[in-house]
Amino acid sequence: MSITSFSFLCFFAAVLFLYYVIPKKAQWSFLLFVSFAFFMTSSEVTESGGWYVIFYPLAAVAAVYFAARLMDRTKEQKKRRAALICAVIFCIGLLCTLKFFRLPLLAPMGISFYTLTLLGYLFDVYYEIGKVQNNYGKLVLFTCYFPTMVSGPILKYGEMEEQLYSGHKLDYRRVTFGMQRMLWGFFKKLVISERMAVIANEIFNNYESYAGFPVWIGAIAFTFQLYTDFAGCMDIVLGISECFGIILPENFNAPFLARNISEYWRRWHITLGTWLKEYLFYPLLRTKFFMQLPKKLKDKVGKKRAKQITTFLAMFLLWFAIGYWHGGTWNFIIGSGLLHWFYIVSGELAEPLFVKMRAFFHIKTESRGFILFQRLRTFLLVVLGLIFFRSSTVSDALRMIGRGFSAFNPQIFVDGTLFSFGLDWIELTIAVVSLLIFEWVTIQQQKGWMRERLEKTNIVVRWIVLYALLFYVILLGQYGPGYSASEFIYQNFKV
Amino acid sequence: MTKKQAAKAVIFLAGFIFILITVTYIIRTNGDVKDRFVGFYAEKDNTIDAIMVGSSPVYPFYSAPKLYGEQGIAAYPLSTNNQRPKAIKYLLKEAQKTQDPSLFIIELRMFTMPDEEWEDTMVFTRGVTDNLKYSWNRVQAINALVSDKSERYTYYFDIFKYHSNWKTMVMPSQLACWRYEKAHPLKGLEIKYGVGPTERVDLSGVTQAQEPAAEQVEVLYDLLSWIEDSGKDALFLVSPYVMEEADKKQYNYIIPIIEEAGYRVLDLNDHVEEMGLDFGTDFYDYGSHVNALGEAKCTAFLGDYLDRNYDLPDRRGQAGYESWDSAWALYQEAQAQAEASCLDDIANENWAPEVID
Repeated sequence: MSITSFSFLCFFAAVLFLYYVIPKKAQWSFLLFVSFAFFMTSSEVTESGGWYVIFYPLAAVAAVYFAARLMDRTKEQKKRRAALICAVIFCIGLLCTLKFFRLPLLAPMGISFYTLTLLGYLFDVYYEIGKVQNNYGKLVLFTCYFPTMVSGPILKYGEMEEQLYSGHKLDYRRVTFGMQRMLWGFFKKLVISERMAVIANEIFNNYESYAGFPVWIGAIAFTFQLYTDFAGCMDIVLGISECFGIILPENFNAPFLARNISEYWRRWHITLGTWLKEYLFYPLLRTKFFMQLPKKLKDKVGKKRAKQITTFLAMFLLWFAIGYWHGGTWNFIIGSGLLHWFYIVSGELAEPLFVKMRAFFHIKTESRGFILFQRLRTFLLVVLGLIFFRSSTVSDALRMIGRGFSAFNPQIFVDGTLFSFGLDWIELTIAVVSLLIFEWVTIQQQKGWMRERLEKTNIVVRWIVLYALLFYVILLGQYGPGYSASEFIYQNFKV
Repeated sequence: MTKKQAAKAVIFLAGFIFILITVTYIIRTNGDVKDRFVGFYAEKDNTIDAIMVGSSPVYPFYSAPKLYGEQGIAAYPLSTNNQRPKAIKYLLKEAQKTQDPSLFIIELRMFTMPDEEWEDTMVFTRGVTDNLKYSWNRVQAINALVSDKSERYTYYFDIFKYHSNWKTMVMPSQLACWRYEKAHPLKGLEIKYGVGPTERVDLSGVTQAQEPAAEQVEVLYDLLSWIEDSGKDALFLVSPYVMEEADKKQYNYIIPIIEEAGYRVLDLNDHVEEMGLDFGTDFYDYGSHVNALGEAKCTAFLGDYLDRNYDLPDRRGQAGYESWDSAWALYQEAQAQAEASCLDDIANENWAPEVID
């Protein structure tokens, strides 16, 4: 059941109603039941008949549950470590078997997300920074809480425990805020992303017929498609959860306002970045090999450089993992992993040169013009990476980039060529206007939530804005008979 | 949640539903069928005495303005292309919400065709369901006509289907449908131009009966029972066309059932000479549907039949029927043009292009 479908909206309305009429004590059990029901309506179950996939998350939770309890009960480090390793191997093994190795087995919905959520909990118990959950059902709910099963976000147990298991009273403000957020998500997904997909699909699928600007238009269209798709999905997911009184962690913070790639990754898929940093990057740096490496290199390259090389090497593994998580093939490993590692490393290495250049040209780093330049540069670097991400193979991506540089044809912006990429002038205008609205709101959100600002306005103005957005989505969204709104990209792209 | 917040939520939701319905009515696909239905809804309450239902052998065959102009009968066609017999009961129920007709006129041609042939073609079902105003009767019609439950929501909320028509919102003719009421100048009639000559097939010798598709017989029994419960009278029609022997046999099965239930059946194919209907000139599509020349003859015959057999009031000159007078005047003008065009085509042997089903 897609969360943009009518049936899901009916399901959600019924669940929301029941959630607030049952006793608060029973709410978490009800959410657990609903999560099961949602899981059983996934395409893996309904279309492929793989009802058994429900046992994969249950088994993974069981492994982590017993390991965590054992680690909590014993102070013996050997036993604790053994329990950790067994559970990690089991969970990663299951993930690899079902996803990476591409065996003819059905993988359950959300496996890449819930596995990381579950492992994060396990590591926290192991490092004694998180509490253990002694109720198996509660741990299942934390792992498989239904809004997060689509595309995350990846949860941290410490942030969720209180919210998930303590009951919630109906809070009008919270529910309306949640619904407004869902509406904003639908706007991104159905109005913008689906239109951008038309252009991106046309150009990526036929890139050999295009050269020069059309190639870059296709790449930029895909960038916005991916962003509005994923961010739209997150808005819907976070909005749903907010209606239940459960605030999930943010996954996006205006990534295209980032001034460099490092900042971009602090704003894009935040929970994945945080997870990998906390549970992969830092532990990696604490391993014997990485602790000793600077000492070994110190004599050859100097202390500062030795530290830098060690960090870059750990970062290489981190970015490889990010790329691999996204797709498991080289186009993903490069497009959303190693290319970004290259950007960051080369940026850091070249920073002294940049400092000199800025001084030479008397550039004020906080001037509007320079900030705009940095944002544009970061955006274009991301676009370049996403060409790999969207292409079928690395060689396709390279050929497409080559075609992008093979012609200079600015006349396409005035000779009507723009309307030959699948959207006529009206549809293209809607796409551009919607993008501008979206970007304007994104910029405004930096000063605080639009919902809170809207709340302070006169009720007539507020309702006009809400009705306008509602009917903008209803009329201009691409859904229903005649359209087939594609599934969320992150639901399918990740391994 | 406070009472004030609950009230706000209810008001917001009510506003949403009102706008949703209004927008849906505006953007439903424009065309002849929409015009006919919004025209029906625009009729003054309790002014129509006969409701005509059925598929395409209704709206080009029988002229409501002519029935009014010549006999004073106020009749309105709630017909749609390939109207599935299952829909008839719901259309008649719908008509009774605002009108109090004493006679239902039901065209039978679709009873000879199995329902499944049409269910898969969404457009024919939508012709009915997407031209009804939002109501419980509409929901029931959808439940009866759409067997795939997972698809029904797109019928209940037809904005799912029509939202891409948003560009038509700027058209004054569409905006005028915001309440799904807009007067039809010819009271639902579609005057057909063109001539597609054909030859009459005489099946008067065919007396054997053949049972139509089982579900159509079931629908017929259900309809007859419902009409009896409604206390109204009904006339069942078979409009003239180039009938096949299998059709004739099915009519031979259906007609006795209807007559046994106490209702009349008028098969115009048995009165072709009497009507003066010429298969060589009076059809626009080679034997299925009549053109303006045929429509004048069919309507005249039906009007006379109704006059002789039913006690329908003569509404001419009555207050509240001014729009009918206008329709009659407009009809005479439009009909004259269409007939002249048909005669011109006949003289020049300028035949209509073949229509491929």
